[in-house]
Amino acid sequence: MAEFGVGASVVRKEDDRFLRGRGQYVGDFRIAGAREVAFVRSPVAHARLKHIHIPEQFRGSVFTAEHLTGAKPIISAPPLKGFKYSVQPVLAKEKMRYVGEMIAMCVAETRAQAEDIADAIRIDFEELPAVTDMLAACWPASPLVHEEWGDNIFIEFSENGPIEDIARTAAIKVTRSIRTARHCMFPMEGRGVIAFRDARLRNLTLITSTQFPHSVQTGLSECLGLEHGNIRVISPDVGGGFGYKGLLCPEEVALGWLAMQVDYPVRWLEDCREHLAANANCREHHYEITGYATADGKLLGIDCIGHVDAGAYSSYPISSAPEAAQIANLLPGPYVFSTYRCRSHAVATNKCPIIPYRGVARSGVCLAIETVMDAIARAAEIEPHEVRLRNMVLPEQMPFDNVVGKHFDSGDHPQCLRRAVEAIRLHDIRARQKQPEPDGRLIGVGLSFFVEQGAHGTSVLAAWGRPIVPGYEQANVRLTADGEVEIHVGTHSHGQGHETTYAQVAHEILGVPFEKIKVIQGDTLYTPYSTATWGSRSMVHGGGAVARASRLLAKRAAHIGAWLLQADAAKAHVANGKVIAGNSSVTLREVARAWYLQPQNLPAEVDTGGLEVTAGYRAERDSGTFTYATHAAVVAVDPMTGLIEILDYVVVEDGGTLVNPLIVDGQICGGTAQGIGTCLYEETPFDAQGQPLASTMLDYMLPGAPEVPDIRVLHMQTPSPYTEFGIKGLGEGGAVGPPAAIISAVNDALRPLGVEVHNLPLAPQRILAAIAASRRPNP
Amino acid sequence: MIAIKLTINGRAVEANVEPRMHLADFLREHLNLTATHLRCEQGACGACTLLIDGQPARSCIIYAVLCDGAEITTLEGLENDSVIVALRRSFSVEHGLQCGYCTPGMLVTARDIVSRLPDADAARIRIELSGNLCRCTGYVGIVRAISRVLDERRRGALGQVMRREPALGPVGARSAARQPRERSFSGD
Repeated sequence: MAEFGVGASVVRKEDDRFLRGRGQYVGDFRIAGAREVAFVRSPVAHARLKHIHIPEQFRGSVFTAEHLTGAKPIISAPPLKGFKYSVQPVLAKEKMRYVGEMIAMCVAETRAQAEDIADAIRIDFEELPAVTDMLAACWPASPLVHEEWGDNIFIEFSENGPIEDIARTAAIKVTRSIRTARHCMFPMEGRGVIAFRDARLRNLTLITSTQFPHSVQTGLSECLGLEHGNIRVISPDVGGGFGYKGLLCPEEVALGWLAMQVDYPVRWLEDCREHLAANANCREHHYEITGYATADGKLLGIDCIGHVDAGAYSSYPISSAPEAAQIANLLPGPYVFSTYRCRSHAVATNKCPIIPYRGVARSGVCLAIETVMDAIARAAEIEPHEVRLRNMVLPEQMPFDNVVGKHFDSGDHPQCLRRAVEAIRLHDIRARQKQPEPDGRLIGVGLSFFVEQGAHGTSVLAAWGRPIVPGYEQANVRLTADGEVEIHVGTHSHGQGHETTYAQVAHEILGVPFEKIKVIQGDTLYTPYSTATWGSRSMVHGGGAVARASRLLAKRAAHIGAWLLQADAAKAHVANGKVIAGNSSVTLREVARAWYLQPQNLPAEVDTGGLEVTAGYRAERDSGTFTYATHAAVVAVDPMTGLIEILDYVVVEDGGTLVNPLIVDGQICGGTAQGIGTCLYEETPFDAQGQPLASTMLDYMLPGAPEVPDIRVLHMQTPSPYTEFGIKGLGEGGAVGPPAAIISAVNDALRPLGVEVHNLPLAPQRILAAIAASRRPNP
Repeated sequence: MIAIKLTINGRAVEANVEPRMHLADFLREHLNLTATHLRCEQGACGACTLLIDGQPARSCIIYAVLCDGAEITTLEGLENDSVIVALRRSFSVEHGLQCGYCTPGMLVTARDIVSRLPDADAARIRIELSGNLCRCTGYVGIVRAISRVLDERRRGALGQVMRREPALGPVGARSAARQPRERSFSGD
């Protein structure tokens, strides 16, 4: 392994600027003459919009749906049978459908002045009954979010195995109801948009904090009626995304429209209340799930009804359908069984649109199936890990197609689980549980096992109905006249360190000194079109493209180099930054000089494409890579206060070939902390009128350093047989495992009290209520 | 508009500011000192942490006009500070940052921990970090990075680390005490 190549824990290139406070986020740009935008947002969840009163002195500074002529509403229209699409006006028109929906756009010299204008605007509306619960929303008598639909269901997915056949005979039947809480995503940098017209390039330029600049370009093109060539999207340093910046936001359309109307640049930076109350919701699922098994815990079948509270609109390109689709086809998880039935529903409510957060539905899905596995273990009176081992795919069965045809590419699942059981010292915990704790707390140990389908390819995403389907991911790799390397990619790092990892891939192939390799991203003007960075896809697809382009570039360089060496081109190759032919070599710098500066020295039949290659990459099989992991937790639960402390946390993960283990550990630990938030702390509750009740940092709790344990990460590395270097996608898995592992541990701790909890987050009051309920005598 | 005079990163600054403008907006929008980041603007997330009169403070919940006479130090002003230099290295080696947005506030707090608590263990570091949120790293790399610099300090590898001076009272009190001006406060 080269010191800076694939597999090396290389310290990141991007760190230095961040550590000096010189990162460049949207809010750090200074555009002369820019004015600030503040939005008037809906104070109610569901209402007919009657009139907007704009004081005389502010006319000209306020824009409403009435002014927004020419801007089309945002429509996410996946080509899925039966999908009801929502028409999301950029600024509310006729109806308001969630608290925080944008109604008017106010412009002034400063944000404070713009907010003064917003405060002076009065909205007349007629309030309608709000749809706030996804289960009640499915009742025939429910009010309708979109009257024209006739019900509140975006779409249903189903798998229809003959579950009745096994239900009759199974020795074990366990049923659980599970609810995950709607919560926020809270990247440290909120959204932000600067929009202006560029007279020189004749385009509308948006500087916006997004994970996918080209998809924003396509979305703007649809909404504003501009050609792609007339829209430039720049996404500079992005202060975290986690899915929150993986959609077209209405503010981008609104500011884009405004910049086309006025002769000054405009800027909007999301404030915290906008984020918490109006813009960032995720994760709200409900499962009614039954597992059937033999007396010794062999899984026979799963039967589930799932609901996803998708909010009022489906965001662009897609937000409402994927979670329900994932419930239907990821719920079987890693296990081997024959009969599966599931109906999952994406439900519209009067809440802000749900956004796919790190792991999308997998965090809830993992919780549901793992809760069932724990319940089967209890019924069969065996250890939770034992029941999992009895239902796993064996390494010799790989690659393996599961009950819904998911194709697990490689790995040793049982070994992963066993290593976690050993690392968490299950035996010692069981011994400890036999004695009461001196402080009266209850100790529990739990685990979760899951597969993380990542880096999905064209066929998977087309089947899920994604309107913008990724195809061949492209990278442009060039040698500069100094023999340095520039890599242009359409993916966009928002913390993952692609400036480092892509450079490692190019270094591995070309051997150009690592510090001489530069990655350019985040600008539609300079990068190949890409669906960009989400779904744990960048290292597999983007890294694959960099590898392929680097190899083609090496070939061209070898041809020129061989000519310079007067050697046989067929015998020349590139290594260590040189073209080597037999015992002689010439540096890539000299090759680059020949191409750029001394072309009279080039061979006659030289490839006229020169030392710049754009190449596309798609994995050999595009069904996705299957990283897998075990999360194991030890917790202490205080039955007097309901407080939960995580005493130990272990992750054993196999993410295929790791390009940069240092960065991988960061992804796993960061994801795990977010999963801990999902499980224990984060919740955006709504009242019966659809008012979000956590709109400040006092109400909304995020895990801080004292709440997150020192997560121990252990690796396995089974390469994927289908990708460059055997890389697998793994950016999301950290956030998938914790709710299931922690709830498993908490229920293990509460077992002596005969208490089980299944609703997230596991806030102290929920624990205490469950304990109290168990003590109430049955009527 | 109110006229204020203060010291920012060792330079004297005079400005007219709106009474409702908070310190971070003043630094970012008027002086282009963009290392100080804003997220919650509710004093909860710590991204805007900087030094006021040498003490770590949230610049989003103090008005610029209240900083009249104060000494403000942002991350830009700590470029060559020996503890910050060591922290930059350790944050990188331990992967204590990903998106970089919480990083400036995190570094200012980390410097305070290293300067004030030479014997802090990992548990103490975590408690001291409770006012700085990070959404990327899960804090593991951050805690290790700070532990590493504390180790260096205990080995004497950082040279003389100044212990933080005790608080003297309200914002600006210390410089006011040195250069008496028309101002009323009850110090010490």
